[in-house]
Amino acid sequence: MFYRETGQFKSKYKEELAAFPLAEDKVGIAILLVIAYVFIPIFGIPGLSFEFTMGAIMIPVFIFTITTLGLNILLGFAGQISLGTGAFMGVGAYSCYKIMTIFPDLNIIICVILSGLVTAIVGMIFGLPSLKIKGFYLIVATLAAQFFLEWAFIRVAWLYNYNDSGGIEGTNKEMFGLIVSGPQSDALTRYFIVLTLLVLLTWLASNVIRGRIGRSWMMIRDMDIAAELIGVRPLTAKLSAFAFSSFYIGISGALMVFFWLGAAEVESFDVSHSFTYLFMVIIGGLGSITGSYMGAALVWVIPVLIKEIGKTAFGFDAFVMENFSIIFLGVAIVVILIVEPHGLARLWQITKQKLRLWPFPY
Amino acid sequence: MEILYAILIAPFVEMGSYPDLFIQALWDGFVAGTLYGLIALGFVLIFKASGVFNFSQPILVVLAALSLVSFYKMGIPAWISVILVLIMFYVLAWLVERLILRQLVNQDGNILFMSTIGLTFIIIGAAQWIFGGVPSAMIVNELGFPNGSLEWPMFGGGVYFEMIDISAAVIAVIMIVILAVFFSKTKIGRGLRAVADDHQAALSVGISLNQIWVIVWFVAGIVALVTGIFWGARSDVSFALQIIGFKALPVLIIGGFTSIQGAIIGGLIIGLGEKIFEIYWGPLLGSGVEGWFAYVIALVFLLYRPQGLFGDKLIERV
Amino acid sequence: MSEKNSVIMEVKNINLRFGGVIAIQDVSFNIFEGEIRAIIGPNGAGKSSMLNVINGFYHPQEGEVWFNGEKRPSMEPYQIAKTGIARTFQNIALFKGMTTIENVMTGRQLKMNKNFFWQMLRYGPAIDEEVQHRRRCEEIIDFLEINHIRKTPVGSLPYGLQKRVELARALAMDPKILLLDEPMAGMNVEEKQDMSRFIIDVNEEFGTTIALIEHDMAVVMDLADRVVVLDYGKLLADGTPAEVQSNQAVIDAYLGVPH
Repeated sequence: MFYRETGQFKSKYKEELAAFPLAEDKVGIAILLVIAYVFIPIFGIPGLSFEFTMGAIMIPVFIFTITTLGLNILLGFAGQISLGTGAFMGVGAYSCYKIMTIFPDLNIIICVILSGLVTAIVGMIFGLPSLKIKGFYLIVATLAAQFFLEWAFIRVAWLYNYNDSGGIEGTNKEMFGLIVSGPQSDALTRYFIVLTLLVLLTWLASNVIRGRIGRSWMMIRDMDIAAELIGVRPLTAKLSAFAFSSFYIGISGALMVFFWLGAAEVESFDVSHSFTYLFMVIIGGLGSITGSYMGAALVWVIPVLIKEIGKTAFGFDAFVMENFSIIFLGVAIVVILIVEPHGLARLWQITKQKLRLWPFPY
Repeated sequence: MEILYAILIAPFVEMGSYPDLFIQALWDGFVAGTLYGLIALGFVLIFKASGVFNFSQPILVVLAALSLVSFYKMGIPAWISVILVLIMFYVLAWLVERLILRQLVNQDGNILFMSTIGLTFIIIGAAQWIFGGVPSAMIVNELGFPNGSLEWPMFGGGVYFEMIDISAAVIAVIMIVILAVFFSKTKIGRGLRAVADDHQAALSVGISLNQIWVIVWFVAGIVALVTGIFWGARSDVSFALQIIGFKALPVLIIGGFTSIQGAIIGGLIIGLGEKIFEIYWGPLLGSGVEGWFAYVIALVFLLYRPQGLFGDKLIERV
Repeated sequence: MSEKNSVIMEVKNINLRFGGVIAIQDVSFNIFEGEIRAIIGPNGAGKSSMLNVINGFYHPQEGEVWFNGEKRPSMEPYQIAKTGIARTFQNIALFKGMTTIENVMTGRQLKMNKNFFWQMLRYGPAIDEEVQHRRRCEEIIDFLEINHIRKTPVGSLPYGLQKRVELARALAMDPKILLLDEPMAGMNVEEKQDMSRFIIDVNEEFGTTIALIEHDMAVVMDLADRVVVLDYGKLLADGTPAEVQSNQAVIDAYLGVPH
């Protein structure tokens, strides 16, 4: 293995409870942060244009990682299945739009966070059925939310300020003298903002998961009756999971529209997106923060790269590449489920395990 | 006050004032219901026999319809095309069993469910690639089903019955009966139920999982074909048909995931309920309510009777 | 042997039915504070149901449960823990997705209450609380000698160790009464000896009242201060192990003599 994990003794519980107790892990994270904050902005990804790297890969991957973190909290840590993720991103986006248009001078980051809070409340309301409905059947409740919200996004014209197109659009917003959002904003600026939010939200999620609230979620997930008999109140645990998860999903929805796409309509929040996010969680690994990063990256980046390479290197047309990437994604899902149902995170753990003993097989 | 009147009284007044429209709505809802029931039936078959919720069932309907029409367009006579589609489905069932199901024996139901989602993507990508995205008409006449409609004058107006819908309803009923008998009376049917209960136990008494799965996916394919023919007749054959698949879930909630009769009854409840709600209460809320109404019914059902009308009750032991 | 003090728990005239099946029929007995009370009987006698009634998880159709001198009202499962009752389960109910130490920490859940804000930052009150309870859990892990598997996911532990982890988790709740549902089931002789030792230690060191269901007669005779015998939902005998052992009705029930 790259480094020995034993021999690092802690004399205080506080040190052992840290997010990265191993010194080498701390170094690893630092390196990743340097790559993200310094290397990529300067050099991009070798072989791809800078615009493409930012706009088609990095920014959306960061945003979808936030979404995946949110859904993983709900599904992976709290065991509540949801197919309403697409619509909840819409709640985040539309509420951000309304807040931005009602308070045009309000700092956009604050608008994004507030829209996260709105989504948290909406998420809690639509999460109420989870108190009576368990397991697979919860899909029905979340699909009801998905379809109902899709209908509402069109029907309730107030949400898009009664404009004719039915969609929402971002305008130029400033912060510290820079245009950070809207048609004239710079991709690099948006990149840094989204990256920083991602890092911050990851840190917060990791803290909550390792504490008593995260434990209460995992208890409900694993054995809800035993959890109750230990004193966990299902109402509090489940609704807090929905709230916290929806907070993340709502923020990612607002970021998706106002820091990446620039504009959106109902189709951006439809049920097929809900499935895509579900894949990101499953493929990455349920109940794993690292897995959320891996899943979002794989499910988003690979199809994009396939299409790009197919187009530029081989000259296949868009129709063919689109369908090929759909097939590829389907095959990837099946293969991962066969090889390692617990996702990439588990594969990574097993790899590390094997590397500890390498070159010996066991 | 006005709102209360509009919600609680006015729709019923409307129903009474134009009884012919009401009957029409009932018939249309009935027809939609039988078709929902057929799709749900496909789910029930596979779930009953393997414990897998086959997410790809709706896309199988689209695949069946698309390939049938394509074979015909290539010049193959209608009923030979049907047989070709059936052969294609048998091969597909065999492939699915070999490449996917066999590798996932004894895995959690959720994993199998996810794999069928993956399968759906593969089929969508492949079908779009091969058949393209242009909608086409179902070859109803060529298959020998009568076209046109019957009009039945009543209540000062009239009710229209499409011949194809009548055929659909009749065929649906026949299918239900055959399948119900198949499951309860035949040896293979019993084997299917054993497999749905416990893979390992079924293996240990000598039931060949592989054979069973191929059979049941093939039968589900047959149901998909029937559904595809009749649903394609109503609204043209295209990938939009998939949307109907989402309606199947509420049907399954109401009818239970393992009941054949439940699938049809659940389908009828949803079909009728949705249509009546859309016509008489829809104007209050705006268009498109049928997109989510079925789910709301299902949700209400779940809160009060989680196992559906016909499903098996779950008992939790400590 | 512990001193016989006040009655900590009493069940009076419990009748419990599931549909048409009568699980418990007019059973009354009490439990002294600080004692080890065994509930025994042939299979299907209603022992687990009785434990669930004591636990508050099942609500009897008739009868009362008195705890600490007060009649206990019917409550939701999550409120029961607050009254000071902890239990283990016949078919281990550990949280399979967590390690041993994490499982034991779950026992402290009720005692932790620092709010969401501090949880997000994992600073100040939140981390202090975590450390404090972590210390207590480590003490319990020490006590039950499961140090070597602290970080092991419980799903991969052998059965006997899983039962011990479950006991640790129950202890982490600092309960007044500990209910053990067949704590020795599926164990070999050595494991039973270990478990018996731990149960006695818990009773003597912490003074925890223990009610346990057990099949192994030798264990019951050694551990229990008093025994309740159930058969077909009815109370057959109630007394010290010696008294119960020589009770003819009990012998008949176990030998299968029709009665």
